[in-house]
Amino acid sequence: MGETTTILFEVFIDTIGYWWVIIPTIFLGLIVGGIPGFSAANTIIILMPLTLAMDLQTGLVFMVTLYCAARMGAGIPAILVNIPGTAGAAATPLDGYPMAKAGKGQQALAISFVSSSIGGLLTTLIALATMPLLARVGFYMHSVEMIVVMLFGISLIASIASQDMLKGLIAGFLGLMIGSIGTDVVYATPRGTFGFLELYDGVPLIPALVGLFAVSEAFIIIEKRVIVSHEGDVKTGSWHDTFEGVRIALRHWWHIVWTSVIGLIIGVIPGAGASIASFVAYQQSRSLSKTPELYGTGHPQGLIAPESANNGVTSGTLVPLLVLGIPGGATAAIMLVVMQYHGVSFGPSLFETQPEIGYGMFMAMAVAYLLMFLTILPLSRYMSHVTTIPTIYLAPMIISFTLVGGFVPREYMFDMYLALGFGLLGYIARRTGYHVAAILIGVILGPLLERYFLLALKKSDGDIMTLFSSKLGNVLWVALFFSLVLPAVFDWRRKRRELMGQQRKLVG
Amino acid sequence: MATERNEAGRQLGGELVIPVLAIAFTLYFFSTIWNSPWTAQVSAFAVGGILLLVCGIFILRCIFWLRDGKATLGFGNLFSREDITTGRIGLLMATVGYSVFIGRFGFTLTTFLFLALSMIILSRGKRPVFITLISAAMALGGWAIFIWAFDTRFPRGWFEITMKAVLGNG
Repeated sequence: MGETTTILFEVFIDTIGYWWVIIPTIFLGLIVGGIPGFSAANTIIILMPLTLAMDLQTGLVFMVTLYCAARMGAGIPAILVNIPGTAGAAATPLDGYPMAKAGKGQQALAISFVSSSIGGLLTTLIALATMPLLARVGFYMHSVEMIVVMLFGISLIASIASQDMLKGLIAGFLGLMIGSIGTDVVYATPRGTFGFLELYDGVPLIPALVGLFAVSEAFIIIEKRVIVSHEGDVKTGSWHDTFEGVRIALRHWWHIVWTSVIGLIIGVIPGAGASIASFVAYQQSRSLSKTPELYGTGHPQGLIAPESANNGVTSGTLVPLLVLGIPGGATAAIMLVVMQYHGVSFGPSLFETQPEIGYGMFMAMAVAYLLMFLTILPLSRYMSHVTTIPTIYLAPMIISFTLVGGFVPREYMFDMYLALGFGLLGYIARRTGYHVAAILIGVILGPLLERYFLLALKKSDGDIMTLFSSKLGNVLWVALFFSLVLPAVFDWRRKRRELMGQQRKLVG
Repeated sequence: MATERNEAGRQLGGELVIPVLAIAFTLYFFSTIWNSPWTAQVSAFAVGGILLLVCGIFILRCIFWLRDGKATLGFGNLFSREDITTGRIGLLMATVGYSVFIGRFGFTLTTFLFLALSMIILSRGKRPVFITLISAAMALGGWAIFIWAFDTRFPRGWFEITMKAVLGNG
């Protein structure tokens, strides 16, 4: 115990020495995270030659900081212009954007930054302290449990679009079908590809994200001259608004704590990343709230939940990566490649043989969140000005810079056309009341669901009842059932009460 | 009463576009896996089956609403006169052009032309000089950050090649 504490202290001092890498990377991460479709993963890929040239520890500090800052930066356009920078911030606009429209953009940014920093810092410290225990969660998640977790995600999508659950389910399952495009994993049979070779590897996520969120939003926002509504008050940033946001966030400290822990736990599960965590946290926050009807109208708790959770994921993602060598997401996969290049061997022994790497990554994350908290808040004063940019300038900029982002990962012109196609789909969905986030989550989960489904069936020689063969899986099935039914029952009861109240008024 | 008024104003034509597209896509998907091994079919049939079921229920509900006069088959929530007056159609055409020509002319030049053209369309021809300047600044700024500084894999064209040669020789 004493030895571990000494090691951790030494690693902390060592990591603080990398401030010259961390601080500029925070700003870089905020910028790239704020550009939809231009995520931390993309930036790390672009800068990979540079990362490989650095010594391992510097490279890891750089990647980890960029990952955390980009996760936080993704909340900026989500709040200000209703375009999540990454899929992990897809739940942020649900309450962040209504706040911005109501002229509280700066408060919303401050709430987002405080929730993200504290949530990220807290979960990083928890991960550091409970590393051996957390690693075991991954051992219990087999294919059956993973299937239920995926379906849990889809049920949440329908609940999020709870004004019409049918539409939520249609959007979610359409996304799953789109996510199934590509060759099957066993015989490489092309399915639903329309004959395009570019789709044989499946639907690339960046064009889908860019199209569904950025392009469709750009076509919607031109209806208004500026993004802030006429009822909203476009205010110049002031310290008062910033501190008001900080105060609101700190007042909900317990909310930050438990929603970030949700993010940490989901982050540990390989494949279940920030997008699922943020929606699960949002839905749980709403379900447990005394005022669920305020969610979606600019409720601070509705902003705190996804922002704390998606930053809680960052430390969780590192657990299976370091202990099992299994990346929990795209960014972790890139980190794995870089670490393998430097000859790092994964597993529990990593923390004994190379503690500066094992603990160092978590420590870099903790230091990054600490420095972010100190450096970002003053910036939030200026960021709310984005909402005052006339849409005639903003919409074309969004389209051009994000559409070309769809080209970057694979360098296929086809991907830009695909982003445009998703943009049209997203536009139709937005205009007719279907949730674009539901479609995107479906696209993300589609290939994963199929992989685990096949694995479960293979193991049981095709017996479908294997889906109900695990105790943990069955507990999750019950939780899934209630998460699908309860919101519908509560909504029905609330609508019934409202109707009865109206009838009583009419009679009276 | 209020609820009834809302229902009567509901334009189901637009709302049915996504379910109809979903059904068409699912049936097409099924057609591509009909003679495939079971590993290629099982997940898609399960997911697609649920999607068809949900779409079917939605369409059935729409039929009931239409029968009860609570909704119409209009497309007003999807297409309107606003699409022309706001310049949305023009922006869409400019975006298609951007996607097509960026591979040939490169990021910087195409972005400048796209930004200038679409801003002029959206502003209905007002402030052309300002728009030209801001478009040039954005396109050059994008080139400086993404291509020159970070060597991002953006489409390259005449401008990028020329600048690379100039900076390489400088």
